[in-house]
Amino acid sequence: MRTMSPLSRTLGIVFLLALPLPIFIVFGASFNGSAYIQFPPESYSLRWYIEAFTDPRWARAVGTSLWIAAVTSVVVTTISFMAAYFTLRYAPRINTMLELAIFSPLFFPHACMGVAAVALMAKLGIVGTPGAIILAHVIVTVPFSYRPVHVALRSVDPDLIRAAEVMGASELRALKDIILPICRSGILTSLLFTGIISFDEVTVTMFLIGPEITTLPVQIFTFIQDDASPVLAAISTISVIITFLAIVLLERVAGLTFFVQRSGS
Amino acid sequence: MNSGERLTFSKSLMLLPMLIILAMFFISVFTLFSSAFVDRGGFSLKYFQQIIDRPDYHIVFYRTVLSSITVAILAVLFSYPIALLLWRANKWRNLLLIVVLVPWLVSLVVRTYGWIVLLGPKGFINAFLGWLGVIDEPVKLMFNDTGIIIGLTHVLVPFAVISILSSLLSIEENLEEASRVLGASGFQTFRNIVLPLSLPGVFTALMVLYLASVGAIVTPLLLGGITEKFVGSQIYQEVMATYNMSKAAAWSICLLSLSFVSLVIIKMIERRALRGQE
Amino acid sequence: MTTTLNPSVSDVQNVTGSIDIASVSKSYGDTEVLSNVNLSIPAGNFLTLLGPSGCGKTTLLRLIAGFIEPTKGKIAIDGRDMNGVPTQKRPIGMVFQNLALFPHFSVAENVAYGLKLRKTPAAEMQQRVDRFIDLVGLNGMGDRRIAQLSGGQKQRVALARSLVLEPSILLLDEPLSALDMQLRKQLQIALKDIQQKLKTTFVFVTHDQEEATMISDTVVVMSNGHVQQVGAPQDIYASPETLFVSKFIGELNEIPARVTDTGPQLSIDTAAGQFTLPASAARGFAPRAGDAAVICLRPEQLKVLPAGANVTGQTTLNATVISRLVIGPLTRVSLRVGETDMIAVMMTDADTAPLPSGSACKVSFNPDHARLFAPLSDDMASAFGEHA
Repeated sequence: MRTMSPLSRTLGIVFLLALPLPIFIVFGASFNGSAYIQFPPESYSLRWYIEAFTDPRWARAVGTSLWIAAVTSVVVTTISFMAAYFTLRYAPRINTMLELAIFSPLFFPHACMGVAAVALMAKLGIVGTPGAIILAHVIVTVPFSYRPVHVALRSVDPDLIRAAEVMGASELRALKDIILPICRSGILTSLLFTGIISFDEVTVTMFLIGPEITTLPVQIFTFIQDDASPVLAAISTISVIITFLAIVLLERVAGLTFFVQRSGS
Repeated sequence: MNSGERLTFSKSLMLLPMLIILAMFFISVFTLFSSAFVDRGGFSLKYFQQIIDRPDYHIVFYRTVLSSITVAILAVLFSYPIALLLWRANKWRNLLLIVVLVPWLVSLVVRTYGWIVLLGPKGFINAFLGWLGVIDEPVKLMFNDTGIIIGLTHVLVPFAVISILSSLLSIEENLEEASRVLGASGFQTFRNIVLPLSLPGVFTALMVLYLASVGAIVTPLLLGGITEKFVGSQIYQEVMATYNMSKAAAWSICLLSLSFVSLVIIKMIERRALRGQE
Repeated sequence: MTTTLNPSVSDVQNVTGSIDIASVSKSYGDTEVLSNVNLSIPAGNFLTLLGPSGCGKTTLLRLIAGFIEPTKGKIAIDGRDMNGVPTQKRPIGMVFQNLALFPHFSVAENVAYGLKLRKTPAAEMQQRVDRFIDLVGLNGMGDRRIAQLSGGQKQRVALARSLVLEPSILLLDEPLSALDMQLRKQLQIALKDIQQKLKTTFVFVTHDQEEATMISDTVVVMSNGHVQQVGAPQDIYASPETLFVSKFIGELNEIPARVTDTGPQLSIDTAAGQFTLPASAARGFAPRAGDAAVICLRPEQLKVLPAGANVTGQTTLNATVISRLVIGPLTRVSLRVGETDMIAVMMTDADTAPLPSGSACKVSFNPDHARLFAPLSDDMASAFGEHA
């Protein structure tokens, strides 16, 4: 039964292969020996990678993006887990309201989010600090964290935690021994998904950087505007590899079905 | 879980961090509004007046909306065959899904940079065409609406694939079989069963894509250049170049209102299209 | 931290595990799901909370477990007030309706979990886990994953997991309801055996009256948040105090009737004829002339006689035989009496008159056996829509 007409199959394959095309072009360009793109390339070299690794600005940006992504994903997953657990167990009636609030940032165009974020951070006096970037990333990633965690928690039999409590476990102990292991894949999905989003976020982040701090995507953005040296191709390739590894890791530890599940509503 | 379970004050603290984050979001929106409507300490519509008075600004809005509609429709058209392919590819779905997810999650800047390398005056396509001897002068593929539309469409197709695929996967398998048993051809089955049932995913995609497109900054800025402005690029300029927060806030509020109106229209079209499916 | 809460049963056998429930009510908003429940459960009792779904039996169990707090009244275990005592600190075990076995643990890990929380030394833990796995009849299955077990085996794990902690009270929330008939019977017997061995107080929730009467020492019949009657199963069957209880426990014939006179004796008018009943037949209400009422008779209290038979000292009504079914030593006769269908059950013997379907006959009963109740209110009657 599961057949496709040759035409739609061909179209599907062609369009699908076109998706990673620009990434492959960047990949190819990063090994180009000359200072601008040539076809066919005259020489191949690793000089742009050497430049990327020796320029401390790039190492610093990669490091900053990685630790901000790590902090953001842990913070936002913890916040979502606590909120989802509390709501499901103690206050199911506020769930609809809470979800409405949590998902409302999704209906804000990114440009507006950026301006709103910079307005808030300026008021708090923290523009240009890691705190501002992390806070903004947490706000932006909350919906993407809450959903997998909530779905995972919702599917856990609520009597499991009660059973552990009857057997003498404190609520915290029951969470650690019983609920966390069972919700493992939802939690890992949240950690990796929000980590990836934070690592690659640029539209909101670029309003919040300062002389002291910038992230990898924002620095790539700044460099593209200044001069399009092929070192950007090497740096972009490194960024793609980090994202790719995170996605493969996600596929290994939790699977990808979460992305194509229809939400409960 | 049952309501009314033993609840203490200390347990309700679990909700607090989430409430703080949500409060931060709503405070930021409030700050956005207050800075747009305030000038020298008093209520003022000055910044909105400036936008209304300038015809060149109107063009920026037109361009943003028209391009975004084009982008959303193009992206859905491109993504539908991909979604169908993934839907049919039971065994290979995970692998193909990675081919979709990687371009989706790789940074916007990197993907846009890829298009600069492809479309730029010294880019891959011009170099290739020059090598073939087809052209003498580089073709202008970038710094115009075409560049923006190509870039944004490509950036947004992966999300549309995922949205439509989710809808397709929720179609019960035996519906299709039932239709074939009743004598429908493959195309009739697609036309009468699969397509209508995948429409929720299509509309979700249209809505999200449109929103993402009108709010885009990076892609229009890099592929559209300085003259072909999007609302996003204008906002970026107001904040980062002229440091005029109030004006940027006014632009943002116009954009926000515009997107809400558009959302309502898309929702109305969706309701009409899905009538009788509930 | 909680080791002291579950003193080993061997030291203080049969003195802990009493529950006192005093004037307990529980409301959610305006809805009262339990109202003014008073109940004393002696230590070592096998007690069943019986009633249709929504009668409040599960709420009462959850109150004892401490998942929820009573709106009014108090619950004491062994004389100690439990209000404000969290679940973890109560000397209870619980078997859940869906069992709530930890899916990521093996059988032995499930059983050991509570002991681990109590920091039991490894050797003792191993020995106790083995003993209880044996007790529930799962010898040698300690290493199995939960997913590998059959429904009945899962029940046994849930039981072992709770009992290994030697709680003085075990709460069981319809643990057998998902099993098929045969397995259910087996496990009922196993439960009863284990309870008698350990002398743990069992509080067992069920909506199945047959199950309740079979395994318990005491049955508590509940409906609409009220306790209807408490007693040994045979006492409740023999002398139900309300129409609800009579209907819920055992098979019942009901004849709609009207009281015409309350004289020294009750004069009754039914579609099948007029007769008198002793004043003591009225239960739970004081009938006045003109009141509607229901006469209740158990099938084994009816005698079916040929149409011409003559009886003294018994009330006799005219009836028609609808069908007759011989089930081994018993004969079941379906009758039409006036406008009511009735069932009579009697011993199959040579004396039983041959009663072909459609023939006229007489049905007689001892007026002292008959019970007269006020008709059910509508909300009570609706409970039987599901579980009659």
